[in-house]
Amino acid sequence: MHLNYLKLIIIFLSFSTKVFSQTNIPAVYVKTTDGKSINTITTLNNNGLTVYSFWATWCIPCINELDAIHNKFDVWKDYNVKIIAVSTDDARTKRRVRPLINGKNWKFDILLDENQNFKRSLNISGIPHVIVTKGREIIYRRVGYKPGDEDNLLEIILKNSKI
Amino acid sequence: MKSKINSLLIFSIIFNSFSLNSQILKNITTSFESYSAYYMDDSKTGNFNSENRFRSNNYLNLKSNINDNWNVELQIESYIPKALLNFSPSFKETGLSTFKIQYSSEKLNLNFGNFYEQFGSGMILRSWEDKSLGINNSIRGINTNYRLSEKISFKALYGNQKKGFEYSKGYIFGLDSEFDMSQMFQNNYSLIMGLSYVGRNDNKIIGISYNNTTNLYSARLDFSSSSFYSNIELVNKSNDVIAQFGKFSDDFTKKGSAFLFNSGYVKNGFGIDFTFRRLENMSIYSERDNFGNEFNESIVNYLPALTKQHDYSLTNIYVYQSQPNVSFVDPELIKVGETGMQLDAYYFIKKKSFLGGKYGTNLSLNASLWNNIKGDFDFSNKKYETKFLGSGEKYFSEISLEIRKKWSAKLNNIILFLNQFYNKKYIEEKFGEINSNIIVVETTYKLKKNKSIRLELQHLSTKNDNKNWSAFGFEYNLNSAFSLYISDMYNYQNPSEEKKIHYYNMGGSYSKGINRYSINYGRQRGGLLCFGGICREVPESNGLTFGITTSLF
Repeated sequence: MHLNYLKLIIIFLSFSTKVFSQTNIPAVYVKTTDGKSINTITTLNNNGLTVYSFWATWCIPCINELDAIHNKFDVWKDYNVKIIAVSTDDARTKRRVRPLINGKNWKFDILLDENQNFKRSLNISGIPHVIVTKGREIIYRRVGYKPGDEDNLLEIILKNSKI
Repeated sequence: MKSKINSLLIFSIIFNSFSLNSQILKNITTSFESYSAYYMDDSKTGNFNSENRFRSNNYLNLKSNINDNWNVELQIESYIPKALLNFSPSFKETGLSTFKIQYSSEKLNLNFGNFYEQFGSGMILRSWEDKSLGINNSIRGINTNYRLSEKISFKALYGNQKKGFEYSKGYIFGLDSEFDMSQMFQNNYSLIMGLSYVGRNDNKIIGISYNNTTNLYSARLDFSSSSFYSNIELVNKSNDVIAQFGKFSDDFTKKGSAFLFNSGYVKNGFGIDFTFRRLENMSIYSERDNFGNEFNESIVNYLPALTKQHDYSLTNIYVYQSQPNVSFVDPELIKVGETGMQLDAYYFIKKKSFLGGKYGTNLSLNASLWNNIKGDFDFSNKKYETKFLGSGEKYFSEISLEIRKKWSAKLNNIILFLNQFYNKKYIEEKFGEINSNIIVVETTYKLKKNKSIRLELQHLSTKNDNKNWSAFGFEYNLNSAFSLYISDMYNYQNPSEEKKIHYYNMGGSYSKGINRYSINYGRQRGGLLCFGGICREVPESNGLTFGITTSLF
């Protein structure tokens, strides 16, 4: 039985370590906070960098990360970067999104991915999850958040915003 | 099973060699998740009495963009030698779990195979996946989404719901439409209307007083302006037989309904939201005899508890679950649904004010109250008349206040106060009522760049049920990749000496980019385990668990 398990892990890892690359943000429909459907492609910062932070109102590390970015927003603002907080809250908690972002004074763009189509299309298994794109191309991804990760993210922004 | 694994091995060799120079497979993304456990005997919680101490759940997902219009996606799942504890026995061995071919253009989106879909807020239809809970009720069939214009769109679907590696015998079909009527306004207002229909056809349980097909209709309206928003949704469910103790009888059939109203007001630094919801006889499964199954298989709609979803261990002991069903179990325990409300408020105390300090302070308040529906019940004749307004027995109430305070560039605090009332008799159909108070203090201290510690202290006090609990958690983040933690929860006032158990856990994780590896050793508390508004009864266990998530982009 354990041999089968090992075999399986080898098979599965052989798939996932192939040097394929998904370079682009997929085109799926998400909603804006006023309920309108928009294509993810139209949310990109075409001439610069876009940061998608997948979060939810119940996810404490997600909120810690967005708070940390918010606290340094003055620094971030100087680079050509668009920050989008993609809420994966479903029908249980999505009504908390608008009051929360206003209550926190966050200045990010917000998208609602209620049935997680966007999240699923990027194979995101857990949140927080951050994706950085240059144009449509994905240049960085990270799962999880630890205090200080926002500084690493800023370094990636700095490095890639120079053309 | 061996032959299945071997054929998978051959497939992977062919696939991997073929893919090196294939254009079709050029744009592939893969992800792999694996969760394994080795269960051990425990002097406190008991021996592990099932077969297979080692168990593992594995998920491999492949997505390929053939060109701008065509996509293929498949997911292979493997439960070897067996699925983890608390997963449905229908997840077994290795096999193709989901498969989808998708065509998408600007106006049209066509899906053949397994798809995930939701109409409105999900009260009449939602298919989704949650690996941690073992839920995948994707529908296999055909799903189309047609955008007639920027303002008008339609969806149609038909298929069977997934149950483990199999499919339900009942059929689901549905239509959804959405009309954006915002152009009626001059200003920046938005108004969207939606109309939906879902039908469930089940020929397995049939009777003369109800149809094989049950129909659900819903209408919704969504208004939004820059500072005010409001939405309303109405659902009607046609006459259907009611399950009682797993039995169906022609003389107990009823209609169902749902009503949801939500409204909120927001401005800079402040937000408030109010929700009212009433559910009467609203559960629906693609097979009638799956009613109330503990694994949530073949659930057609999504009726989550509308209460605050908490993240701390002691706040997840007495968790409300929505009560959408009719239950005539006992003359003293009659339920026909739930009615209630929830209020949320968020406030930011400005920087440089007296209470705000240098960084400002975040406050969030939540209150909820849920009751049985008011009505006249005739237990012996299985009859009832309900009222739209008013409420019956109280199921649950909660008030919580959360304060988030950043003191300096290094020090952060979260303080949470919570008061709960939990009616165990009505919610779990057991005995008792519980009044409890919880306090949580979380402190994060940044030692240096990427090095931090986090301490969580919790206490639950109650005179009821198993009395007081205490808990702590300590996390040490060594750098951006490595993290270690230790935690414990202890029911120190449990009336029974042998139930005063420490539910300790310790472990670590390594994460870099998109890859994450974790290991954990400890005891799992038994009872209700809830994630995302869905709860499940789990036994106590002790063991070593491992997790891998990895993917390539």
